[in-house]
Amino acid sequence: MMRPLVIFLAVTRNWLRSRSGLFFSIMFPVLLLIVFGAIFSSGGGGGQTTLFVQNLDRSLNGTPTNASSAFVHALNLTKTFAIKDVPANADAKVWARNNLGPLGGNIRIVIISNGFERDLVNGTLKVKVGISYDLLNTTYQYFIAPHLNETEKMAYEQGLDQLRKWNQNLTDTKTSLTLAFDASDQSAQVIKNIVISVANAFNYQAIGATSVIEFNEESVTSSSYGAVDYYLPGIISAFIMTNGLIALTSNTTEFKRRGIIKRLSITPLTKLDWIIGNVLSQTLLSLMLTAIMIIVGFIIFRVQAIPDALTIAVIFVGSVMFSGLGMILGGLVKDVEGASALGNAIACPLMFLSGTYFPLEIMPSYLQSISRFLPLTYFSDGLRYALIYRYTDGVFTNMAVISVLAVAFILIGSVVTRWKEK
Amino acid sequence: MVKVVVVEVNGLVKQYEDLKAVDGVSFELHDGEVFAFLGPNGAGKTTTVEILECIRTLTGGVAKVFGYDVTKREDVKEIKKRIGVLPQDFSALDKLTVKENIDLIGGMYEKRLDTSEVIRMLDLGEKTKTRFENLSGGLKQRVGVAAALVNDPQLVFLDEPTTGLDPKARRDVWQVIENLKKLDKTVFLTTHYMEEAQVLADRIAVINKGKIAAIGSPQDLISKYGGLKTVIIRRGGKKLAETLQQKYGNTTLNHDNDVLMKADDVNEMWQALSTLTSLQLDKEIEIQAPTIEDVFLKIVGGRITEEGELK
Repeated sequence: MMRPLVIFLAVTRNWLRSRSGLFFSIMFPVLLLIVFGAIFSSGGGGGQTTLFVQNLDRSLNGTPTNASSAFVHALNLTKTFAIKDVPANADAKVWARNNLGPLGGNIRIVIISNGFERDLVNGTLKVKVGISYDLLNTTYQYFIAPHLNETEKMAYEQGLDQLRKWNQNLTDTKTSLTLAFDASDQSAQVIKNIVISVANAFNYQAIGATSVIEFNEESVTSSSYGAVDYYLPGIISAFIMTNGLIALTSNTTEFKRRGIIKRLSITPLTKLDWIIGNVLSQTLLSLMLTAIMIIVGFIIFRVQAIPDALTIAVIFVGSVMFSGLGMILGGLVKDVEGASALGNAIACPLMFLSGTYFPLEIMPSYLQSISRFLPLTYFSDGLRYALIYRYTDGVFTNMAVISVLAVAFILIGSVVTRWKEK
Repeated sequence: MVKVVVVEVNGLVKQYEDLKAVDGVSFELHDGEVFAFLGPNGAGKTTTVEILECIRTLTGGVAKVFGYDVTKREDVKEIKKRIGVLPQDFSALDKLTVKENIDLIGGMYEKRLDTSEVIRMLDLGEKTKTRFENLSGGLKQRVGVAAALVNDPQLVFLDEPTTGLDPKARRDVWQVIENLKKLDKTVFLTTHYMEEAQVLADRIAVINKGKIAAIGSPQDLISKYGGLKTVIIRRGGKKLAETLQQKYGNTTLNHDNDVLMKADDVNEMWQALSTLTSLQLDKEIEIQAPTIEDVFLKIVGGRITEEGELK
């Protein structure tokens, strides 16, 4: 039998019989998928965000004005928020802090200022009169004036001038809302945008405008994928990486520490045979991980993503790449603890900077630039294109980068793996 | 009869920065013999052996195995095919069974023995399906020897094969080595156990601080460096010890109250025995021949502890 195949069989058997190895390479990713799935696949209901609203716009009898009540109602209609009313006489921030509930959470407050309705009416009137003046003036200039004599023109222009002056005398007030957030609140921007959208809709309604652009939502993928389908490639690619970087590195250093590699090096086995055997083993584990993740995902979350030949090719090349990187680390590091620490130190930043769990678009531009130099970015993108989007060009572009890196890592790995003591 | 040289080492040097681990070592290993490298930890035993196994580079000198040079890439391939090795602190894949681990090593060779044959040779039949992690220390070493034999090598390196084993397991490994001898294998044994070298080896090289201090058969070394026999009077006591010390010198008392008297020559021994007869002692008398330990003490000037340290 070929030597790499013998190594492949032995290392794979050894791994599959190790409970801790199986847990961290297969079970842990599956558990993470279940957690992610549970978080992101829930269809609303329990997923509302608490929003504290303090309505300071009151009528003389102390009840909220019609306009401010209507605005709060509009916020409610979004179904995004669980609104908690803050008493008008309370310090909103203190009150919100004291009423977060036993589990705590982020404080998000909208304060409707006193005079909201008055300013809204005034502001709306000024806008409406302004629009009316512009409309009449334009109509007069282009359509009416050419057909009038001088006397009629003068009468018309006097009327328009009266309207303009009246509009100028109207108070130019803008009603205001105050939004208060914690600076560390990562969801603040999203919530702010929702509140602004509601305010804009409210503005349009107040001036009697109707929406002329209608939004229709469609999926860019051919199948009816759910949220979990989109997390799958990220989780799979991240754990194929950790299996290569952490598990393989730790295993290699453990074999080295125990003299197993030295024992094998006394036989006709070559360094390259050893590396190929390990890479094949990692590839099989990666395919097993993918299959188990998809089966579990299908049973629990009805995941629709089914890997095709191209997906398997991406997984193969990705596994080779990270196994090669693992062999480099295994060759450089002497002790198991050091290998594990180094593997983690490399894997963790890669996981978060490569768009596996979070879209790159939400990151600052300099981090997005950094991500373009990280191998996991190309692997997770390639896998996502292959498994979800079926975007062949994107798959091949990313696979080309992964393949080059895979060859480079394997070559470097075979150089730094010591087959002979000094 | 012309002895076939299996290993030829001439002026071998291994230098690590300031330390000369092997300092001009020269020796030959002949076909079918058990050759022991005897010395304390750090003497250069494993370094020498690992150079011969082609997993460590040499700094100077010549080292050839079956006439192949350990420094030449093509020769190394030939050497690796022909040798079997039990490394120091042998270990294997924990989750694999005895058979699977032997198969793993066997799978590296084009020509190999059947695993079941090797298992039978090492009397591991009952443990075939036992995982390596569940074996005792002695059995693990036996698996190591089995792995060393799976390619049916002409030369077997056994590096400290009994270190850390209990006496029973140690005897079991000795039996295995004796069986190798019966199979006409050439065995290169490194050890810090005097008795092991004396019992198993056809020839012993005493090595210390990277240099071979003496080399020869156990009998030759004992007769050359071992000194004369020791007269032991069991429970002789302090008074008798003082009497013999005054008359003949070289007399000591051990922890068991035994009197130990080393005779300088045969005459002195007979005189001492005559004295003991005249004293009409009701004590058991034993005459002990010198051992390799005495040789080592004489040559190196110290003893080796159980842990392999020179004291």
